[in-house]
Amino acid sequence: MSDEQTEMVLVTVDEEKCIGAGQCEMLEEDTFYVDDDTVIAKVIGTGMLERSRANLIVETCPSQAISIVEASAQESPVGDAQEDSGAEEADPS
Amino acid sequence: MSTTTTPTPNITDPSLYLDGIPHERFAEIRNADGLMWHDYHDGGFWVVSRHADVKTVSKDGKTFSSAVGMTNLWDLEADAIEARRSLIDSDAPDHTRLRRLVARAFTPKNIRRWESTVRDITVELLDAYVAKGEGDFVAEVAAPLPIRVILTMLGVPVEDAGYLVELSNFLVEGTGDTQSIPPDAFGNTTPLRLLPFNSPASHALFEYGEKIGDLRRADPQDDLVTSLVQAEADDGDRLSGSEYRNLFHLLVFAGNETTRTGLSHGAIALADHPEQWQRVLDDSAMVETATEEILRWSTPVLHMRRTTTAPVELGGTHLDAGEKVVMWYASANHDERVFANPHTFDVGRTENPHFSFGGGGPHTCLGAFLARLEVAVLLEEMAARKMHLTRLGEPVRVPSNFVHGVLSVDMAVEARS
Repeated sequence: MSDEQTEMVLVTVDEEKCIGAGQCEMLEEDTFYVDDDTVIAKVIGTGMLERSRANLIVETCPSQAISIVEASAQESPVGDAQEDSGAEEADPS
Repeated sequence: MSTTTTPTPNITDPSLYLDGIPHERFAEIRNADGLMWHDYHDGGFWVVSRHADVKTVSKDGKTFSSAVGMTNLWDLEADAIEARRSLIDSDAPDHTRLRRLVARAFTPKNIRRWESTVRDITVELLDAYVAKGEGDFVAEVAAPLPIRVILTMLGVPVEDAGYLVELSNFLVEGTGDTQSIPPDAFGNTTPLRLLPFNSPASHALFEYGEKIGDLRRADPQDDLVTSLVQAEADDGDRLSGSEYRNLFHLLVFAGNETTRTGLSHGAIALADHPEQWQRVLDDSAMVETATEEILRWSTPVLHMRRTTTAPVELGGTHLDAGEKVVMWYASANHDERVFANPHTFDVGRTENPHFSFGGGGPHTCLGAFLARLEVAVLLEEMAARKMHLTRLGEPVRVPSNFVHGVLSVDMAVEARS
């Protein structure tokens, strides 16, 4: 996709910042889930959203805990960035 | 550069608000260069009046601290700060820890589960109001609805709703010039400066919270108080005794006072603008935008204060560390840079990024989606009855620079369905 707004990007949650407001879960329930025990939002599924949608969610999050994982400087395709960072997400510390 | 004049009339004068929000004064402040300095008692504060500046302050809790000087206009001594500190007067990581203890119950997804409870209470109150034909909308609907909902969530006996609304009214008085109860009311012996809102009613609410907490420790239930006392018991690091008291106080106060204000102003606005109510009656899809417009119009909390922790440039003014800044949501919600025709009540307003739940940072209103649900359900049930409200007199407003409260408003009510 050449249109920047419809480009698919990977989102991630900073667990230290998340206050469990659940607005991400309300806006994109296939991508975010607030864990009942930790009350921290987790990325579920592919974690991929259109950039315009991801920007809205980044802006909406009250604790600025959500960010877009930008493709690395070596200009690897978005798909690669997703796999790399997805592995990190799947390994909660 | 900064403008260093104190606006007249004085926007901190509680009696000013007996006539409603001083919109003309706020417009002058918004449209002056930089931030305006405002004298207050021995010191003063910077007036943050523009939508964009309120947003900047709200989102940057590191530079604009809620913990350092707490969130009220007045300054407190160190012991009072510690005794009175609650969720809203904390910064990360304390804020994050406390917020997570209560956040789960208030996520949009979990709030939806309360819809039938909210609807049942709303229907009961509206049907009784319609049967009477007239009465004070605040006493009949706006006050009992939110207090009954929050008490149900907390697990507090609903029979005590009247007592807790009474305590809330005394707390609001504490933000004004005069209190109608003596310092030793409710058996209080704590110096008032150590109590939230300087009110002996806070002592009563603390005691009440302790009593309910003891009951839930002995006999756990599936409710919010139980989850709080369990957090306190599991691990003292998660919630201290003082934090429990202040959190219970905050949930009861914020859970009823603010939504009561929103519902009251909503009813007044719909009575005063029948053509707007007709739009909701004609198109049920209008409930969503009408809810947001009622929230903007009502601005239940007029301001919150922060204290700078580092030098910063804000709205064209340089601030040093340790300066007091006060965000006036009442002004931001009418900022002509953001809202088209800000002084028009428009239930179809689609661009409506109001700050009635705060300016969007980590302290964003915990109960935002509960409040939205209560306003929306009230509109739906009023529409289902084709209810028409007619004012029988002027609203009696609360003399407070902090809450945009309505004590009472007499209305005639007719159901045309």
